Amino acid sequence: MVNALTCLLKKKVTEEKPATDEEVEVIGREMKTAIDAVFGQSLAIRELDTGSDNAAEIEINNLNNPFYDVERFGITFVASPRHADVLMVTGAVTHNMAIAARKTYDAMPSPKFVVAVGDDACDGGIFSGTYAVLGGADKIFPVDLKIPGNPPTPTQILTGLLALMRMAGKKR
Amino acid sequence: MIADKDIGIRAVQEFLGDDALPDRISSGSNNEHYVLLEEPEFEMAVSHLAANKFVLISLFCCEGFFKNAAHTLFYVFERRTSILVLVRGVNGRATSIASIYPSASWFERECRDGFGVEFEGAFDTRRLFLHETYPDGFHPLKKAFRNAPIVTKETVDPVDEYPFREVSGEGVYQVPVGPVHAGIIEPGHFRFSVIGETIFNLEVRMFYKHRGIEKLAEGKSPRDCIRIAEAVSGDESVANATAFCMAVEHISQIQVPERAWYLRTILLELERICSHLGDQAGMLVDVAFPLGANQFSVLREECFRESDRLTSSRFLREMICIGGLSRDVSRTQLDELTSFVHQMRKRYKIGLKIVLSTASVIDRFAPTGVIRHALLRPLNITGPAARASGGKVDVRLNHPYGIYDQFVPKPQRLRDGDVLSRFTIKASEIIDSLDLIERLIATIPEGDVRSDAPIRDGYTLALIESARGQNLCWVWIKDGAIERYKVRTASFGNWLAIEHAVQGNIVPDFPVINKSLNLSYAGTDL
Repeated sequence: MVNALTCLLKKKVTEEKPATDEEVEVIGREMKTAIDAVFGQSLAIRELDTGSDNAAEIEINNLNNPFYDVERFGITFVASPRHADVLMVTGAVTHNMAIAARKTYDAMPSPKFVVAVGDDACDGGIFSGTYAVLGGADKIFPVDLKIPGNPPTPTQILTGLLALMRMAGKKR
Repeated sequence: MIADKDIGIRAVQEFLGDDALPDRISSGSNNEHYVLLEEPEFEMAVSHLAANKFVLISLFCCEGFFKNAAHTLFYVFERRTSILVLVRGVNGRATSIASIYPSASWFERECRDGFGVEFEGAFDTRRLFLHETYPDGFHPLKKAFRNAPIVTKETVDPVDEYPFREVSGEGVYQVPVGPVHAGIIEPGHFRFSVIGETIFNLEVRMFYKHRGIEKLAEGKSPRDCIRIAEAVSGDESVANATAFCMAVEHISQIQVPERAWYLRTILLELERICSHLGDQAGMLVDVAFPLGANQFSVLREECFRESDRLTSSRFLREMICIGGLSRDVSRTQLDELTSFVHQMRKRYKIGLKIVLSTASVIDRFAPTGVIRHALLRPLNITGPAARASGGKVDVRLNHPYGIYDQFVPKPQRLRDGDVLSRFTIKASEIIDSLDLIERLIATIPEGDVRSDAPIRDGYTLALIESARGQNLCWVWIKDGAIERYKVRTASFGNWLAIEHAVQGNIVPDFPVINKSLNLSYAGTDL
């Protein structure tokens, strides 16, 4: 039975942080340094699914789980394109999503960056040349970086983002 | 007493008469029965099946199946262990059955978009997967259309915009949400009609992600199609690939080695655990209980990593192939999996206990988002969502495939049909799947994991229990290539459940209700 008293009196529970992944930590530290230098300490990402098979979303979501917890490195996923520095696109661009995708891109303030995540977003993948899709994300707006994979792992996505930071740093 | 599997035949005899049978009824290679019907008999037959508690689980169209009909419609019905397919040849027009079976509405609209078949008497004739930018008169699944890029409209005139159901009255207002949502989620549109904070009506609009999966498969060799089946929905990769391979194996009478079925079953159950853990973590995020959410997302990430160790893919991809598995899994890997499962069960139970003894969680979960039992049959709601509302539906039990007849999952059933029931059902299923994996590893036989046999022509239906419920595919192979690959995932039916589940709830509870149903957008939109 659960009542107010048991909630008050029971031992406070907490969870141990999972074992750290050295590779992720190294990329993360570099990421933090790069974000501090280029983006004024925080990088805001807006995720946009234009027709993925949902595996890429799951991996992007996983970047927020306690193993990666990318907020530590200055990365936040934001709810509106108006708050975003980077648009992270997954999936080939379907005809049914094209208008909404363009609106999302247009709503972002400049300067803005676009990262395509997964084979389908990079060049349309297996759907390329078919009736239902326009192709990769670069068919509707300029893409700054492509992270291939079916889908890429969270570590690969993070590595890709680091490359973007370095590119953006050089452009300044 | 009629055996369960003969219920379908018996029902046919009741409306056709005993003597009409032999030339009109044929058995498929996967225990399904096809019944060819003439137009006048058709509606009577459907009413008869509706009265006899048959569920319409799919309806799809095909071109070139019969010489004397432009379109052939297949109506797939299920009752307990019996599968009955009513086959109807039509030429561009057919009568709608949506007023008898509400679930037929989306199917009929799907056939209309794909093939241009008009359904007379249908209560909803709006387009389904072809949104407003697609040109009029375009029907991609017609054989005459060769799959190639097409030109669509860049903008939509306001008068051509999709007409949502309108609810009017004092104090009623609409909240449009999507297709691009606030979180890292797939796109879809929700149109809420709200009075104050309470949801009066919800209409979901899907198919933003329509990628043309079915057309893409046409003309491909069955082996090249597995990649397409895996792309139906990323987190159901194993389930959809296995269903597709099962269909091809039935058609070609390929005997899958026993070891391969043990391994396939392990992968199927692992996929289920991974999916359920993700739902549970998501549900806890939505009720602001990060302690529980993080515990489950840690376990889920570990599941992904274990999957990667086993198959070199976090989504268990490229393992399932026609005839078995593309590669074997070593004894060491299996031993490792056993200890993983053992650890996992222990830690999962600790997390579960914390969650279920937290009053703030229970307060949000119960009695939120109730799906009434009466809705299961008309809408074809399956999977954990149905089992949480008292449904006795599980493909592994009703139509056992592979070795599920030897490794029988525990039947799960709750009655309240709310978010809490769905959470609890998923918890029991995770534990049961962990037990199953352990038992499978303990008794797995040695031997080959693939049998290479030639692929033959033919058609059949395959059903599988994915994490979300009953997935169905119908495969027709002609001249060694895929002529038609029809997929219907559990989400296609379950999406309609959410429109009912949210009624009378408040808008802030929508996310948790949505997460508790864990619907795949990709698997619906195809």
